[in-house]
Amino acid sequence: MSLPQLKNILRAPTFYRLLSTSTACQKSQSGRYRITPRKDLPLTYEMANPPHQIAHRKTWNSINTSNLEGGLRSSETAIEDIFIRKFMTGTWHALFLSEIIIKRQHNIIRIAGIVRRSVSARKMYFLIGYTEELLSFWLQCPVKVELQTVADRRDVVFKYI
Amino acid sequence: MLSFSRKIDKTAFRALEKHLILAYSTSSEPQREEEFRVLNLKHVKGQTVQRRSVRKAEIQPPRTTQMPVDQDWGNVWPGPRSFHPATVPLPIRQGYTPTGVAPGKYANAELMKIPNFLHLTPPVIKRQCEALKKFCTPWPKALDSDEKCERFFPLEVASSDYCHSSPTIRDPLARIVSVKFKLGVLGLEGRAKDKFLRLVGERYDEQTDIVTIVTDRCPLKKQNYDYAMYLITALYHESLNVEPWEELKSEADMEVYIWENNASKTSIEALFGKEAKEIENVEQYSQAVVRYMNEGENQYTVEQYGDAVRKILNLPPVPR
Repeated sequence: MSLPQLKNILRAPTFYRLLSTSTACQKSQSGRYRITPRKDLPLTYEMANPPHQIAHRKTWNSINTSNLEGGLRSSETAIEDIFIRKFMTGTWHALFLSEIIIKRQHNIIRIAGIVRRSVSARKMYFLIGYTEELLSFWLQCPVKVELQTVADRRDVVFKYI
Repeated sequence: MLSFSRKIDKTAFRALEKHLILAYSTSSEPQREEEFRVLNLKHVKGQTVQRRSVRKAEIQPPRTTQMPVDQDWGNVWPGPRSFHPATVPLPIRQGYTPTGVAPGKYANAELMKIPNFLHLTPPVIKRQCEALKKFCTPWPKALDSDEKCERFFPLEVASSDYCHSSPTIRDPLARIVSVKFKLGVLGLEGRAKDKFLRLVGERYDEQTDIVTIVTDRCPLKKQNYDYAMYLITALYHESLNVEPWEELKSEADMEVYIWENNASKTSIEALFGKEAKEIENVEQYSQAVVRYMNEGENQYTVEQYGDAVRKILNLPPVPR
């Protein structure tokens, strides 16, 4: 038995906790859904296809040229995309039924998605203008919100598991 | 019987009328208003909770249902945009299902993800080209062949612009400028050409006679272009310069064998007793000697040299 191990054993018991600051990479679990006993968990098309089906059965949710060879601002683009997603889910609270799709075309950022018609059209127009205005001020480039509305959240359900 | 004077205005009359109606009507509406609401803290079973019925907003039918057949699609979809099912009158499906048909266009996020070219239909492209035509100038008629283009515009300048999907339009690779030209157009001869090739180094391609100068040391494209032009000018004038020490170059400093400067010429002149130009077949002989000295001794050069000697001395050729 080595000396450090012996030291550990002889030390008086203390109460301490360990903290891991790096995010857990649960790549075998993330993006996959478990079958429920009653088979009543609604899944959209996006959720029904696990991540390894990207580029086969479904596409990416962020489309830009940053991660191509010779692309610029890859880290900034990723951070901005996370910010846009957080802002959209917070601003359009419980309205988005799909993932938030962020497409970049030159300096334009297009934000697309499927939204429930639970708020009035007037409020929705306000939210579109509000989002475009604030995001284009923060990101310093034109932002366009291009939405599609559905009447019910069951419209986007692809299957139940 | 009540009688009202004409001075009573209409509003007062109406208020009275309302009052009368309220007093004599049998409906329960006014009574409900007066009913005192009871604060019910505990949920008693008999309590009726009025559920507010969700008023559904009236939704217009999809725009595709109202589209005429001969509409101008360029006005419906004027610019790049995410796919919208109510605007595109096509029965598109996208997605994979192990059994059954693929998901339709409504509420389909996959169709919204992919970039579309609905704004670039052939008639729209034609229209845009027509609009851009007035900004174009015709090709000069005099430049009808590639040879003329090369003669009048010997410089070929190439630089790249980059389009990224990012808010910045700067790309460091856009600064690189490459300039190509044929060495022949400079009109350099002999010593000047030799000097130019020494200065240029491996930027000269012997096969095509093209000199390529790539400049990337300045931060801007314009600066790099100016620098390339400066380099060409400097190279040209530097190769035309003759330094005083260049005159001191002796036979031992020569990098190639030149027949006219060497002992071979003087000895053959002494042998024939006349000028080298007047001797028959001296061209072949001098070339054979130059090749022998420059390329080194091998089967071919030795045979060439032997043939040339036999010819210049009027001897019969060796039967092979």
